[in-house]
Amino acid sequence: MENFISGKLTLDALPHVWYTIGATVFFAIMIMTIATILTKTKRWGWLWHEWLTSTDPKKIGTMYVIFAVLMFFRGMVDAGMIWLQQSLAADSQSYLTAEHFQEIFTSHGDIMVFFVTMGFFFGFMNWIIPLQIGARDLAYPFLNSLGLWLTVAGGILINFFFMIGGHFANTGWLAIAPLSELEFNPGAGVDYLIWSLQLSGLGSLLAAINFIVTIIKKRAPGMTLMKMPLFVWTSLCGMVLIISAFPVLTATTFLLWFDRFFNMHIFTTGFGGNQMMYFNLIWMWGHPEVYILVLPAFGMYSEIVSTFSQKKISGYVSMVCAAIVITLLSYLVWLHHFFTMGAGADVNSFFGIVTMLIAIPSGVQVFNWILTMFKGKLIFASPMYWTIGFIIIFMLGGMTGVFMASPPADFQVHNSLFLIAHFHTMIIGVALFGVFAGLTYWFPKIVGFTLNERLGKRAFWLWLIGFFVSFTPLYLLGFMGATRRLDHYASSTGWQPLYITATVGFVIIVCGIITQIVQIIVSIKEKDQHLDITGDPWNGRTLEWSTSSPPPFYNFAMIPTITSREPFWDMKKQDHQPQKQYEDIELPKCTGMGIYISGFAFVVGFALVWHILWLAALGLAGLIACIIILSFNEDTEYMLSAAQVAQIETSSAQKSLNC
Amino acid sequence: MAKIKFIIGILAIISGILAIFFVLRNENALVIHPKGVIAHNELNLMITNLLLMLIVIVPTFILLLVIAWKYRAKNPKAEYDPEHSYGFFGELILWLIPSVIVAVMAVITWNATHALDPYKPLQSEVKPLSIQVVALDWKWLFIYPEHGIATVNFVQFPERTPIHFALSADGSPMNSFWIPQLSGQIYSMTGMITPLHIMADGPGEYMGRAAEINGEGYADMTFVATSAAQSDFDDWVAHVKQSPLQLTDRAYNELVKSSKNNPIALYSYVEKDLFNKIVMKYMHPSTP
Repeated sequence: MENFISGKLTLDALPHVWYTIGATVFFAIMIMTIATILTKTKRWGWLWHEWLTSTDPKKIGTMYVIFAVLMFFRGMVDAGMIWLQQSLAADSQSYLTAEHFQEIFTSHGDIMVFFVTMGFFFGFMNWIIPLQIGARDLAYPFLNSLGLWLTVAGGILINFFFMIGGHFANTGWLAIAPLSELEFNPGAGVDYLIWSLQLSGLGSLLAAINFIVTIIKKRAPGMTLMKMPLFVWTSLCGMVLIISAFPVLTATTFLLWFDRFFNMHIFTTGFGGNQMMYFNLIWMWGHPEVYILVLPAFGMYSEIVSTFSQKKISGYVSMVCAAIVITLLSYLVWLHHFFTMGAGADVNSFFGIVTMLIAIPSGVQVFNWILTMFKGKLIFASPMYWTIGFIIIFMLGGMTGVFMASPPADFQVHNSLFLIAHFHTMIIGVALFGVFAGLTYWFPKIVGFTLNERLGKRAFWLWLIGFFVSFTPLYLLGFMGATRRLDHYASSTGWQPLYITATVGFVIIVCGIITQIVQIIVSIKEKDQHLDITGDPWNGRTLEWSTSSPPPFYNFAMIPTITSREPFWDMKKQDHQPQKQYEDIELPKCTGMGIYISGFAFVVGFALVWHILWLAALGLAGLIACIIILSFNEDTEYMLSAAQVAQIETSSAQKSLNC
Repeated sequence: MAKIKFIIGILAIISGILAIFFVLRNENALVIHPKGVIAHNELNLMITNLLLMLIVIVPTFILLLVIAWKYRAKNPKAEYDPEHSYGFFGELILWLIPSVIVAVMAVITWNATHALDPYKPLQSEVKPLSIQVVALDWKWLFIYPEHGIATVNFVQFPERTPIHFALSADGSPMNSFWIPQLSGQIYSMTGMITPLHIMADGPGEYMGRAAEINGEGYADMTFVATSAAQSDFDDWVAHVKQSPLQLTDRAYNELVKSSKNNPIALYSYVEKDLFNKIVMKYMHPSTP
């Protein structure tokens, strides 16, 4: 019988091995340091009013990016531990037990996908989409704040096992049933995984709804759908994927949790459970998820190629069609993740061929990026470096992807390190390079000064070389019969030298990351020389560059009227100076409700991980109470008068007036 | 300085390609050195697909480098046309180029998937041999229904004979059965039977392993697959028949319990119909 007060929680759950104690101490030191600095500089109020409760999409975007960077370091530590283990594990157990190793690669996958890549892209969308479509804020400013804090709550919960529990899931990032069932995994690790994905999944869903409504309803007058920048288009496609795919994730993980909490038998091995159904359901979400990660990046590259080629994007209509075709096809390919499950040849061929079809719109995109450079005037700033590196890696990754789309070939490389190399090629080469390209490209817009170019380029080379040194050996290991997730292996397989090479590549990548950290520090030090006074450091084409850097908190004093696809480029060409006629601006007030609700959601998640029902009920009651209170609050906006706008515009003072 | 960097870069790329070549040429690259008809055909399919894709990838790659070099802003001779576009038909061609390649690959995929379907029995004049495989936590049990013998983590079969594996599992999470040099992998699942047909070209010893994560003992869930001449195989069966170990129901109930890094075991006797019992155990409701 479970204890009513503490559920499954016992004193054993407190940290008592080196890595849980180490992590707990580390987190405690971090929190205390930050708290001390805030108290000393008397910045608690500033933090709360200016940042945490803000509904300004630019600030929410910055918080998303900071959160993603922190989670990125956490995920990289995992990556390093995985590779160190595998480099040493020929004929020995190396320094990690099998169970611990399996927990590490599980958390590596979940953190990198849900919190790093998605966190970065939500951050960029918050930064840039309102600016690109000529809007002052998102359609639902409160929902935006709630989405951020739910994601953060999920991110805290996924790290919380260090403090309480000591074990994470050891099932792989998708918590594949029946391995994630109670029968094989009685501990709380899988529950931590389930509830952190529930929280962050809800956050992503709310954010996606918000962006879709924003893009559909809040565009500046004259900006028809076919005049939207490509980043907005691909983000829209990605968000449509989220609202249709994430409910599947929520439902699937709920069903798994029913199995674990109510002893149901939905995906169990016996008693009528169907393990194959879990594979189907999780990949029905999982494949669209892959495109959720890469579609926004495609849009960023289109913007960057066009800007730095000083030429309009080649084949705009084709690019939009390609994004839409990829969106639609991504629903029809999930079965290629388990050709090996014994489906017949007809079913396998269908899904194999549909997968290959994705190569067509992807190919069109690549051609158009290259043709945009054709007869352009290419400026090789660091965003352009990342973009060309991306195109090369994307061709390689696309090739290995189509290679695996053929079911008989997949039988030989499925679950092998070849597969691991393929999807890291896509996620690092496409999504992460996109993050870095976007970060250097839009950093001056949001922060007000450009990043150091020399160090940025050096970081790029380290990343590119590190990437090839790490992941080429993995492709080869796949051909040598090395499956993924091995905590040790026989030295007679001849794998060890390649694992070690991959680890060397990791070290080169880490040097790249250090260079990026130094780059940011140096840039801050030298910021006076690199201030972006014009608001247009790259000779940009789209609307975000027409504002000052950083933009005022209301984005646009006057909402521009759009007549072309590249409004700012045309404005510059025509030397168009808009009439300065200001109007009253309605802006959202800041609100702490997003934090309160997410806090209660975190309590519910934590309580259900440990089966503490009274605490879960309490958390749920608090959550519902917050929503009721919120629904009676009609005072959510304030008015900024035309006179105030004029004053801010002329003095160019960037003061936040809310709260 | 730039020239030196360029030369170092080229040398690094060439040595990288050479290294890849030598790694793949080594016998350790199991997928590249198939020893069975299915693995041979799978490799051929991979190479065909690779070459087809290179038809597009290589020119695109060269185009990318040439255009990026030629139209750099510092090149005063390059033409600059910021409004340049190809119009509707130009775009259409961009869609058609990959479509043609994908269409060819689609036909190849359809045919190959049907030809190399694991369900499809292999054509041969030799009578096929059936072997039943059960994935347990964390070892492989092989049952020879025709000979009434069983083995753990070791399987032997005659060369140039179609082997029909029937794969299942007993209570273990999802597993994948893979002998890279003989054929691609297929899942073995509790309560289900998945077929796999293979045929070895000649005598040899091959690595087999579990390819889907299934818990703590996953890394050691390997087995040895041996193909031998028919006479050697018959001798081996006779040898196993001498083994003191017998796979009775009681012995099986011991075996099914989780254990790691099991040694090879040979059983001279198997309970009749054991495989069907294992599969059917999960087919009808039982009391918890």
